[in-house]
Amino acid sequence: MNLRADHVAGAAFVGFGVLVIALSGDLPTGQLSMPGSGFLPKIVATLTIVFGLALVARAGESGPFSDVPWNDGMHAAMVTVITAAAIMLYTYLGFIFTMVLMMVALLVVIERRNPLRAGVYSAAIVLLTYVCFAWLLKTPLPESPFSY
Amino acid sequence: MESTLISLLHGFSVAFQPDNLWYAFLGCLVGTLVGVLPGIGPLSGISILLPVTFGLNATQAVIMLAGIYYGSQYGGSTTSILMRIPGEASSVMTCIDGNAMAKKGRAGAALCIAAVGSWVAGTFGVIMLTLVAPPLATIALKFGPPEYTALLVLGLIFLAYMSTTSLVRTLLMACIGLLLGMIGIDNMTGHFRYSFDLAELGDGIGIVPVAVGLFGLGEILSTPSHTVVGEVITPKFRELLPNRQEWRESMMPIARGSVLGFIIGIIPGSAHIISSFLSYALEKRVSKHPEEFGKGAVAGVAGPESANNSASTGAFVPMLALGIPTGPITAVLIGALMVHGVNAGPQLVTEHPDVFWGFVASMYVGNLMLLALNLPLVGLFVTVLRIPYAYLYPLIIMFCIVGVYEVSHSIVDVYIMLIMGVLGYALRKFAFDPAPLVLGLVIAPLLEQSLRQSLIMSNGNYLIFFSRPISLGLLIVCVILLGLSGLAFVLKRKDWRDKLAEAEAGEVQQ
Repeated sequence: MNLRADHVAGAAFVGFGVLVIALSGDLPTGQLSMPGSGFLPKIVATLTIVFGLALVARAGESGPFSDVPWNDGMHAAMVTVITAAAIMLYTYLGFIFTMVLMMVALLVVIERRNPLRAGVYSAAIVLLTYVCFAWLLKTPLPESPFSY
Repeated sequence: MESTLISLLHGFSVAFQPDNLWYAFLGCLVGTLVGVLPGIGPLSGISILLPVTFGLNATQAVIMLAGIYYGSQYGGSTTSILMRIPGEASSVMTCIDGNAMAKKGRAGAALCIAAVGSWVAGTFGVIMLTLVAPPLATIALKFGPPEYTALLVLGLIFLAYMSTTSLVRTLLMACIGLLLGMIGIDNMTGHFRYSFDLAELGDGIGIVPVAVGLFGLGEILSTPSHTVVGEVITPKFRELLPNRQEWRESMMPIARGSVLGFIIGIIPGSAHIISSFLSYALEKRVSKHPEEFGKGAVAGVAGPESANNSASTGAFVPMLALGIPTGPITAVLIGALMVHGVNAGPQLVTEHPDVFWGFVASMYVGNLMLLALNLPLVGLFVTVLRIPYAYLYPLIIMFCIVGVYEVSHSIVDVYIMLIMGVLGYALRKFAFDPAPLVLGLVIAPLLEQSLRQSLIMSNGNYLIFFSRPISLGLLIVCVILLGLSGLAFVLKRKDWRDKLAEAEAGEVQQ
């Protein structure tokens, strides 16, 4: 049997539905006349399993799993890692430092742009945004340990 | 009718306040830019800018956010015509004949017809909204929990029926959205559900991190910059006016597109996308020269552009009158109103007339602003289109992080956005449309509450949904839609949804 894209997707949804039901163990289902907090989640999780199985059953209509294009996977992984790092640093280093670092990293590491040009562009954009948010929109942004 | 006119006049007095005019203008300008830039749709644009509206009152916030929505419908045509890249999904059909007109040296005329058609349709849509929404809200006041349950179920099934992906895929996405919407404290019993001892999850998962992650970050993850290339055709300012024959050829398609778009807009689903496709198909069918379609037919620009604008206005009818989102964009707008302590729904007209009528009146003004903006500023938009995508997407990621963080100053929300971005990327790989997920997330609390209240009211008797005429009628429509979907599946017949899916994938025959 050829592994199809919908075999994988359907199985993932079935697994997710089972996981939700397992996590709902301590939630009371209640009775029909007084449904508990686990009533609807269990119904929806069961529907997820049913629809997931339907997807697996009709997987023949989808393309082979090996044909799913992952050529942009490296780009996606690098953007995800850099963004995750920026989120981690955001409340520690503040808006200005974190965002300049993130934009420079994205432009230099992923896009292979000139570091100097990337630095100037990033600093200008981040400072402009900071001014817009902090002064014009009166919306406080996380500050750095150096208080800006 | 008289009371509607008086209320509308009151709305104009609200809309013409300098602050409100400024936010309508700002929304229209940002919306046009959102529409012009490929890769940023109105949903991500509204989600990212939602926190900016926190300092405003509810009227200003909804005026600005709605301006972004209908402004993006105007802006999307610019990229479609000049680059043959849809600035946003509803402009897919405009690419075909709009770009063909541009290649024939009629780029200016195509832009002008798209802008005028959008204005006529947008204004028609607002007039209909003015007339339809208040009486519908009066009827909706008679709705109890069983009617709301049936209506929400119908909304989900309608969305699945109208979707270009399969019924099972759409319902799966809706189920995931419903499950995400049930995270947090259960309002009726106080139980913590799936919060894993994280205090931040006690209030549930917000719509902003989910929408920004799925549509903003998810789009960026699946779009490497080297894949975004395109030549921009620069129209000359003096060529902006269509000739007499082009005006004549565009009149009826604009009229038909306006009516068709509004009707489809009321129906749940990605109405603005579907309406442009159906309008294109309709124009091709009624045309005396169908062979010209794909080679620069004026009707191929005028019809779809009018339809998507009218549909975007039509989508506000169920949102304002019933408090029911018909798609992810109206779902985010309902979320925005809730942030400001205003619940969309039947009581909106009576309890917050300033918000309702100010918003409606601002749309008349906003449509005029957009007409004035789009043609003279086309040179600016061409310049924006020349910014390399490699420099643009880091900026968008920055706005995603800032936008999500500013909603509740929670870094957990930003992590949720990142997870949703990765999920959105994976869903695209497996041909899932994430829009029903957002809709499920928004309606989950309302659906759960109305279902449980209905069962408590009837002492656990499911027949309550079939014994009340309105809910019975709504459930019969659900059964009919499921039957139609089943029939199409059994007969393996290609219908308009399959053709739309092909068009969106760029497989339309030239």
